[in-house]
Parts: sequence; C-alpha cells; structure tokens
Amino acid sequence: MATESIDYASPETKSKVETKVFPRPGQHVTGIVDWLTTIDHKKIGLLYGLTALFFLLLGGIEALLIRSQLWSHNMEILTNRQYNQMFTMHGTTMVFLVIMPLSAAFFNFIMPLQIGARDVAFPRMNTLSLWCFFAGGITLNLSWFFTGGAPAIGWFGYAPLTDTRFAEVMGDMGPDFWVFSLQILGIASLLASFNFITTIINMRAPGMTMMRLPVFTWMTLIVSFLIILAFPAITIALAELMFDRTYGTNFFDFLEGGKPHLWQHLFWIFGHPEVYILILPAMGIVSEIIPVFSRKPLFGYGLIIFSGAIIGFMGFAVWSHHMFTTGMGVVATSAFSILTMLIAIPTGIKIFNWIGTMWGGRIRFDTPMLFALGFITMFMIGGFTGIMHSSVPIDAQHQDSYFVVAHFHYVLIGGALFGLFAGFYFWLPKMSGRLMNEKLGKLVFTLMFIGFNVTFFPMHYLGMIGQPRRTHSYNEGHGFEAWNQIATIGAFVLGIGIAIGIYQFVSSFFNKKLKPAGKNPWDARTIEWTLSSPVKEYNFARTPIIKSRDQAWENNYGPKEKHAQQEALGDHGVHMPDHSWCPLVTALGLFVMVIGLLFRQTIEFAELFIATPYEIAIAGGSLFVLGIVMWALEGPGGYHLFPKETEE
Amino acid sequence: MRRLLALFTRATIATILFTTLFGCSRVDHKQSALDPKGLVSQNQYDVFMLSVWITIFLFCAVGGCLLYVLWKYRAKSKEEAMEIPPQSHGNSKIEASLILISALILVILAIPTLQGVVLMNRVPDANDEETLKKLNLDRSQIEGAITVNVTGKRFFWVFEYPQFGIVTANELVFPANKAVRINLRTEDVIHSFWVPKLAGKMDLMPGQENFMWFIADQEKILSGKPTTEAMPSVFDGKMRQTVFAKQKFSDEFEPVGGLFYGQCAEFCGNSHAYMSFRALAQTDQDFDSWVKRFQNSQNPNLQPSAYNPEEMYNQGAIVTFADKSLGEQAQREYRSTKKIAKAEAPNLSEKSWIKAHSDDYELGKQLFSSLQCVQCHAVNRTGIGAKGPNLTLYGLRTSLAAGWMRNDEKSLSTWLRNSNEVKFGNLMWNGEGVDDTHPLRQLENDDEKVNQLIAYLLGQI
Amino acid sequence: MSEATAHSIEHHEPETSTGIPNKKVLMWAFLGSDCMFFGTLISTHLIYRKISATVGSNYLDIRDLFDIELTSFSTFVLLASSLFMALAVSAIHKGNLTSTRWMLFGTIIFGGIFLACQVYEFTHFVHAPGNELTLSSYRGDPHVFGSTFYLLTGTHGTHVAIGVLWLVGWLIYSFTGRMSVSDAIDVECCGLYWHFVDIVWIIIFPVVYLMEYAF
Repeated sequence: MATESIDYASPETKSKVETKVFPRPGQHVTGIVDWLTTIDHKKIGLLYGLTALFFLLLGGIEALLIRSQLWSHNMEILTNRQYNQMFTMHGTTMVFLVIMPLSAAFFNFIMPLQIGARDVAFPRMNTLSLWCFFAGGITLNLSWFFTGGAPAIGWFGYAPLTDTRFAEVMGDMGPDFWVFSLQILGIASLLASFNFITTIINMRAPGMTMMRLPVFTWMTLIVSFLIILAFPAITIALAELMFDRTYGTNFFDFLEGGKPHLWQHLFWIFGHPEVYILILPAMGIVSEIIPVFSRKPLFGYGLIIFSGAIIGFMGFAVWSHHMFTTGMGVVATSAFSILTMLIAIPTGIKIFNWIGTMWGGRIRFDTPMLFALGFITMFMIGGFTGIMHSSVPIDAQHQDSYFVVAHFHYVLIGGALFGLFAGFYFWLPKMSGRLMNEKLGKLVFTLMFIGFNVTFFPMHYLGMIGQPRRTHSYNEGHGFEAWNQIATIGAFVLGIGIAIGIYQFVSSFFNKKLKPAGKNPWDARTIEWTLSSPVKEYNFARTPIIKSRDQAWENNYGPKEKHAQQEALGDHGVHMPDHSWCPLVTALGLFVMVIGLLFRQTIEFAELFIATPYEIAIAGGSLFVLGIVMWALEGPGGYHLFPKETEE
Repeated sequence: MRRLLALFTRATIATILFTTLFGCSRVDHKQSALDPKGLVSQNQYDVFMLSVWITIFLFCAVGGCLLYVLWKYRAKSKEEAMEIPPQSHGNSKIEASLILISALILVILAIPTLQGVVLMNRVPDANDEETLKKLNLDRSQIEGAITVNVTGKRFFWVFEYPQFGIVTANELVFPANKAVRINLRTEDVIHSFWVPKLAGKMDLMPGQENFMWFIADQEKILSGKPTTEAMPSVFDGKMRQTVFAKQKFSDEFEPVGGLFYGQCAEFCGNSHAYMSFRALAQTDQDFDSWVKRFQNSQNPNLQPSAYNPEEMYNQGAIVTFADKSLGEQAQREYRSTKKIAKAEAPNLSEKSWIKAHSDDYELGKQLFSSLQCVQCHAVNRTGIGAKGPNLTLYGLRTSLAAGWMRNDEKSLSTWLRNSNEVKFGNLMWNGEGVDDTHPLRQLENDDEKVNQLIAYLLGQI
Repeated sequence: MSEATAHSIEHHEPETSTGIPNKKVLMWAFLGSDCMFFGTLISTHLIYRKISATVGSNYLDIRDLFDIELTSFSTFVLLASSLFMALAVSAIHKGNLTSTRWMLFGTIIFGGIFLACQVYEFTHFVHAPGNELTLSSYRGDPHVFGSTFYLLTGTHGTHVAIGVLWLVGWLIYSFTGRMSVSDAIDVECCGLYWHFVDIVWIIIFPVVYLMEYAF
C-alpha cells in the first residue's frame, strides 16, 4: 500500500476563493482557534464525543450518589431534595448530554466516510449544532448555582409538578433552566439531523445507491428522521410550559382548565421515538461490527434496514404505553398494548439476523465484538422485560417501580452504551491512528459487563417486591437493603469500568507507544477502512466509485469487476472550505439570550456588572442575529488541495 | 480466545445463578407484588408469570442459539481467523418463519393481557353469573361493594367513604370479603395509588377522576390462621396491638395477613418517598363495627355538649362542665356512671359523673387548638378539605406520618418535637404560614406539652 | 462578488446524488419538521377548544370577539403574496433582476399587511372592553382558549415575520449588484418557506376561526 502525500496550494495562489466581507480564518490556523472555528466533520465528531464522555462521568457521579443514598434504609447522604435533583439531572444528562451526543459523534465522524463524502452537506451548520449542544449542556448544569438549585422534577417533568404553584422552593429556577437547556439541545439535534438527512440523500459517492449504504448510515438516516419528526412535540410542550411559568397561561394548569394529561401525551410522543433515537445508532454500530468479526456479510441486510425503519415508524404509534396507569380507558390501553407488542417483532428480527450473520463465520473475540455480544444479550433481556411492560396488567404493577428502572437501564446501558463503547473500540483506531490495548479493553468489558449486571439485575426483583422509583429513602422492614447494597457495589464496579474505558479512549490520542493502526486493522468491510488512519482532512483523495455493498472487503477479496474505481481529480483539486467564527458567535448569542430570558430579576455580578434580564436577552439576541448576518455574508471561502495518491 | 469464551460463558452462568437465587429468596415482603392477596393482583401476577416463562423460554432458545454459534464458529487459531467463509447474504424462508413464530408467541401473551385490562377497569356485573363463576366470586361480594374516594395530597392520603359519610386518612379500612371501588382524585400534583398485594397502581390525575377496584381474598389473608391473629379487628384496637407485638420495624418482618402496605408511586415532590399508606382488611362484622364507631365519632349531633338540666342522660353519656383547674373557660368531659334524670343537679363528687379523660388529655386537647393544630387537622368531624390528615380515632391507627413510623408514644414524641427531622420537607413543618414563630416549632424541648398532646392524640380511641 | 468568483463557486457546487440541490433538501426536511411543530400546536388548540368552554361561569362564545371579515381579508392578502413569491422565483431563474426586485417587494408588502392585521387583531382582542381575550382568561374568567390561540397564531405570525425579514434581506441584497442567477436556489428556498407558511395559514384559518362558526 502506498502512502498519500499532500501538496498544499499556497494560500496566495489564485485558486483561493474568498469574499472579503468578513475574512474567515484560513487553513493554517492551529491550536485552540482551529478547534473553535473548525468545520471539519471529524473534529466536530471528536468534540461531540469528548464532551459527551465528560458528561458521562458527571452523570455517572450523580448515579453513584443516588446508589450510595440507597445503600440502606433511611440513609442521609443526600437530603430528599438533593436526591430528587440528582435523579432529574442524571436522567436528563444521560439522555440528552451523553447517549444522543455520543451517537452524534459517530454520525459526524463515520457517516460521511461511509458514504464517500468529503464532509457533511452544511459544514458550518454542523459546527453550530455542536456549539448549541455545548450551550445546552452548560445551561442545564448552571442550574445548580441559582435559586432552588438543579431542577427536582424528574427528566419527564410531569405537569403540574413543574407549575410555579407547586414549587417547593420560592422562586425555584431549576425547571426554567431545564426548559431552556432542552430547547437549545433541541435546536442542536434538529440542525444536525437536517444536515445528516441532506448529506445521506445527496452526498453519496457515485455508485453508492441507497441499498449499498452501510447499515450504520441507514440508522443515521432513520434516527435523523425520527429526530426531526419527534422533537417538535417536545419543543412545543416546553414552550407551553415556559409560557405557563412565565406568562401565566393555562396549558397545564388544571385549576384553570388546562390538562396535565396533555403534557404526558406531548412528552411521550417525543419520548418514545426518543427511545429509538437512543438505541438505533447502537444497533447500527453492532450491525457493522458483527459482520467484520465474523468475516461474513450481514445476514438479511434489507430486512435489518426495513425493521429499523419499521421500529422508527411504529415508535410514533406506541407512546401511550408510558401512560397505562393514567386512566386512559379500556380501549386506548388495549390498543397501545397490542401495538407495543408488535414492535417486538422487528426488534427480534434484528437479533435473529445478527446470529445469522455469525452462523458459519470465523468469529474473533476482539473488544469491539465482545461489546457487541454484550449488547445483544443485554438488549435481549431489556427487550424481554419491555414485552412484559407492554402488557397492561403487568405494567400496572411494574410502572414506576425498580423493575422499570432495571428495564430501561438494560436497554440504555446494556443496549445503547455497550453499543457505543463497541463503536469506540471499533472506530477509535480510525480516529486516532493507533490501536488500543486489547487487554485493557477486555478488562473494561469485563468490569462493565459484570458491574452492570450486578447493579441492574437485582432491580427487577426489588421492583417486584415493591420498591418504588424516585424515592430517596425507604423504610426498615421491606427487605430492600441487601439487594440495594449489591446493586450499589455493582454500580461502583460499572463506574470504574467506564472510567477506565474513557481513560483508554482519550489516552489513545496521546499515547505514542501504541501501535499504529494502519488503514484496516480489523479487515473490515466498509469504505472508511480504505482511508489512512487517522483520516486526512479531505477524507478521500479521489472520490471512490462504488461497485458493491461491502466495498473495502470486495476491494481485497472480491472479483475484479467489483473493485472500487476512483474519480479523476479535477483541475481545482479538492475544494476545502475555510474555518469560520460565525457558528460560535451565533451559538454564543443564543446562549446569552437564553440566560437573559431565564432570569426574572436584575442580575448583579460582583458590582461590576448590573443588567436587567431584558438587556441581556437583547444583547444575546443581537449577537445571534449578527452571527447569522456574518454567516450569510462571509461567503463560502475555501482553498484547494491537490493530494497525490498512488494507486495500490 | 478460548479464555474469553469461557469468561463469556461464565458470565451467562452467573446470570442464570442470579435468577435461581431470586427464585429461592422470599417473596412475601410487605409490599411485594409477588405475593398477591386479591383477585386483581392475582390476575396481574398470573399474566406476569406467563410472560416470565415465555421470556425465559425465548432467552434460553435465542441465547442458547447464540452460544452454540459462538462456540461452533469461533476462530480457533490466527490462521483460521483469516479464512474467508462462504459469503451468504440471508435466507428469506428462515426469516419469514421466525417472524411468524414470534408473532404467535405474542398472541399467547396478548389474550390474557386483554382479559386483564377489562378485569382491572371494570367491576364484574353482579348479574353476570358466568363471569362471576369464572372469577370464583359470589354475587353478594359484588352487591355489597363499598366505595372509597381517595384524595391524594402532598404528602398523605384522604380516604372518604361516601356510603357511610365518614372520612379517615392514611389507613384504609376495608372488608376483606367485598369488592372495593376506588375513585381517585388529587388536589395538587399527580400521585399514584399502589397496594401491590391487592392491585396494580392507578394514577391520581389533577382535574380528572380515575377508577380502580380490588377485592381481597379472605382465605389467602388468613392462610389457615384464626381471624384474631391474621385479621384482628381495628375498631377495638386489637389490630394495633397485634401489629405492634408482631411487626417490628426491622428487617425481620412477620406479616399480619390483614395489613397491607401501599405507597405513592408517582413522583410528587420533595417528600414523595414518605407518601406511603396502609390498608387494613377486616371481616364483614368488624368492618361494620368500625364504620359504626367512626360514624358516631364524626356525627356532629353526638359530640359532647355542655350539661343541660332539661335533658335526661343515659349511663355512659358524655357531657362537658366548666373546669377552672384546666384554665379559664375550660371545659372538661365527664361520663355519667348511671342514668341521670332531668334537672338532677350535677354532683361531681357523688360519682354520678366521673372524669372521662385524664388531665393530660384535656390539656392536650386545649393545646391542640391553641397550637393551631385544628387549623389543618380534623378530629371527630369529617373536615373535608382540611389541609392535614383527619385524626378521628387516631389512637386506633397502626402508623404515623403517612405510614412511615409506628404509631406509639416514642415515635409520636419524635414526630411532634421535630417532624422535619423525620420527614424533611413535610408540610406540617414547612407548609404555608408555618415559620419559626409558629407554636408548633417551639415544641422541641417542651416535654410537658408534648406529653399532653400525645395523651390527647393516642386517647382518640 | 465578481462574476468570475461567482462562476468559480458555481463550478465547485458539487453534483448531488439525487440531482436536487442540497439547500432544497434541507428546506424540505425543515418544512417536514415544521409540519410537526404546527401539528402539535393545532392539536393542542383542538383538544382545548371545547374544554375551555366548560370552565368558568361565562359561556365562551369567541364569535363575539372575532372579526371574521378582517381575518378573511388578511387571509386573502397572505395567499395573494404567494403569487408574488412564485413570480419572484420564476423571475430570478430567468435572470430578470428588475422583475425579481418588484415581485419581492410585492411579497414583502402583502406579508407586511398580513402582519399588520394580526398585530391589530391581537391588540384589539387583548383590549376589547368587557370581552378581553388574554393569554390566561376570557372575559375575566380563566380560560385556555387565549393560551392556545395566541401561541398558535403567534407562532405562525413569527414565521411570517421571519419570512418578511428574509425577503427584505434579499431585497437589500438585490441593490448591492451581487445578485445573480446563482442565487436562484436560495430565493427558491425562501419561496418554499413562504409557500409553506401560507399553506399552514390555510389550515389555521378554518381550524381556529371558521370552526367557531360551524361547531
């Protein structure tokens, strides 16, 4: 295999296209400015991943505090309000600031590589999503420092508990922070999804037909559609809640005609597709890994994709199974119960197909494969308890008990997080250019697998013997202690496993002792593995012309007519866009505006800075508009690269 | 490779061991859904166990298949790992049959599910003999059903019996042999009514009335023991005695069959965890006696009034006389020891009237007003809409603070002195209009007042 | 931007897999999402419309307040603006800058009239003596109608206002001398947005206003 070399066009050459209204940082910026202004999908992906891993640690610490508080009866590590804040923040953090952005990290980094594109369709918008995600994460966690502390309303924020009428601390600002941070995070997710949809529909390399797309890319597409169709419901619900809290409207105020039921419906119309938004990326990752480590193509490719789409579609038709105990009546509960059971079928298909893929293969047990297998088994258990909950009589006992806690942690940790960790072990060599230590990886897997099961399996039993969710304490004599103690020990083992894993991920970028990965360390099948590791900024020196589904595999082992060809490089070489400050400015404006909207009284900061909330909001809004105007006027910019590539 | 596989197998075995362990451990915990004592919860348990067996079967089938594949097709050497197996892409016949099988399995679960939904939501018709027979119910059990209006408040429960015109709080007394219809309402946020041994939960939604019902199974409650032991009567305090004697607040729980534990299951604020309650099953007779006692206690016409010379009093009648020793304008309750004729002058020394209660009780009663307890708590009246739990016949209750503590002198003393220490954020300590100047918050070191209040409260029998 | 650079940008505009420009796909995806926004708002309004009538002592007859003639007029104006928008898009595709400018101007004016009507309507509703419809009450009684009404029509009004600002941006841009046929796709996206906002109003008008006269 020959190496690639790059010949940079001099920045002063004529090929530099740039309008001078607002100069953009050129291609030679380095260090912090490079990372702040980058519009490279790979760097954005890394930033997403790194931030999400940080929030994973934060949410994990919250989880360990929760577990410590439940060590025995009547513990006083946390007060009840602190505990309620912990589980609210833990839930919100893990869903919106960990699993979703971790998926987004892979979407960003891997998806354009898998379709043979040089970047996403709208690179600057991609950066804006990243900074909006940052702003949302910061906004949510700022709540700790203001009146009332963090929100204590649960990640579901059921009305009317969020109403100011029922605030337990005078002028509690927690729910306001919660509302606004979710709104910003919603903007981030929506923008990213528009981008991914456009990219996958429009930026595929020649010959990359829809039915040749790698499964992970397909799942990206489905998840993006789920996001753009599901997030509006929560955005509107949050807007209504914000109006209720700020302007005294009556959307959820039952004393003045509103209906708390409506909140639940709107929340779960978003919330159930959200579950699939969290799990489908992991399924996509696992569907990539299993064929590679079995050295066989995916069994039933079409069916896996079709069932993914069906799951996504049906995800919009089953939201009320979260509300079986709210008194919806016999007909509605029965209908939603049956629909929910039906979802088990496409999910089952996926598991059958993964096993079918391994059948007759040559299975290697490297760390990514172990995590993928962990995913299958744990997700299976989570899925089975899910089938139980779809049955209304069973759900009547399980709802809001620890059984449900066990169920969704099996799906979200055993499922989503194991899948994402599998993705890290699989693709990090492509990102960092170095292979990770297999032994350490297997240790991480062992710790996580054991810790996870020790933590969450006993919770099924705890739920059945009557421990309710979201309670900071339990009384003596219920027999809850022993199993809670086992769960707490397991949680710490799991925490240690995750912490070592995160250390391993981050250090693989800096540890020069690690072996270089080479182009295709796993002998994998999709075209991102035909690129050098780490991937060059232009991704593909020559755009590949795709001939088959598992292109990298066919290049190595397939018949000649299935080998990929390459497009000739045009006169202008590879057009690379310039860096840009505008997304950062726009997101900053949004952040400041939201902070202004949040506060109701004058803000004083050490006598240096006194402003009314409106002034801050207007200042932020202006910055936001300025960012957009600059964005519109700065023009595409860019420079040209002429990477030399010698054919292998 | 082999070591890893072994590890994986071991992990799976550990999981199975876990399951077995659970199978062996006790399931009759206070709040266990695995120990159903009623028709509805039994049905829910049966459907649950069906689903457990189905999923264990599926887990073994699919998991076994997975293990087999992992073992059979593992790459045994570096060379083998680089081999290229046949590149098959799928098999539509296998896929189709697997889809069909999974759909069939779901049907097995779907049918009892639908039956269960109907059972949960509708009390069977008393005239529908076929259904009653199937459920093994007697017509009278449905016809004699009682109705309870449950109102959830942060953080306690109000139980109103509209048929009998009585109101109690935190301890739901019901006949073990009759259907109980529950209407659920809330005055603030969402709560959820859950007595796992009797029925699954149902939410209390603001602005909406929800319905659920349950019927206990007297045989299961007694499980061969005599009534006095398993289901002692509430109205004369036997239940309280039995529970105190048997049920220690420790890990060693010994169930009294008729005592059920319930809990609010929907997050409702700071003290959500403390919002528990109890349900006490009674024989039909004992229940009737309890209702009688309550009706008498809460009947405004039967409250003791000042002695009236124009009236005739039966033996045991209670009237009030002024008693300066208790304070200015204080009234004390006296009980007649014999039949008192009209205009027979009250002779307190001649033992025709004796003090009905101890001095502490009477002083406690005065404190109950002067410390502003009455503003929130109703005693001997229904007091619908009161902010705090109704305390009528409080001395018969087994628990204190919405089922959180045992209702004895010691706990009550702890509770009265500083309830915030017990239940942080409770509204008696933190509610509207209660601040550091409130008399309630001055009780911490006032042994005398606390003892008087305890005498008054536990004297409500 | 000189002709040469504009040409070179056009040259670099990559060919897409579907042949549809990226910006158009983006706009369609956004509009799909926006459908769900309005869907949620409209269903909230529909759910609450009847319930609000049962709360409070006064029977809610919003017809006393609505001025259906004015709203019909503003509906017509908004629909007419779509015609101008379509003509503007057609003109820029043909490279006719003068016509584009006039048609954009027409769209802005009509959109502006619609907004003015809405502002008038809102102020009138809030201040109608004895008949006030505020965010939380109608005729002084707590109601949800005002909440859903203002949020729904207000969100639509905000959409129109953003559209008008966007069009004003194009109008200003057309005077800088930089506008060329290569901007047609951007104007077309703006047009898509504008038509969508119109279509949404075609749903909102009967659902919020006309329905009160029918059921």
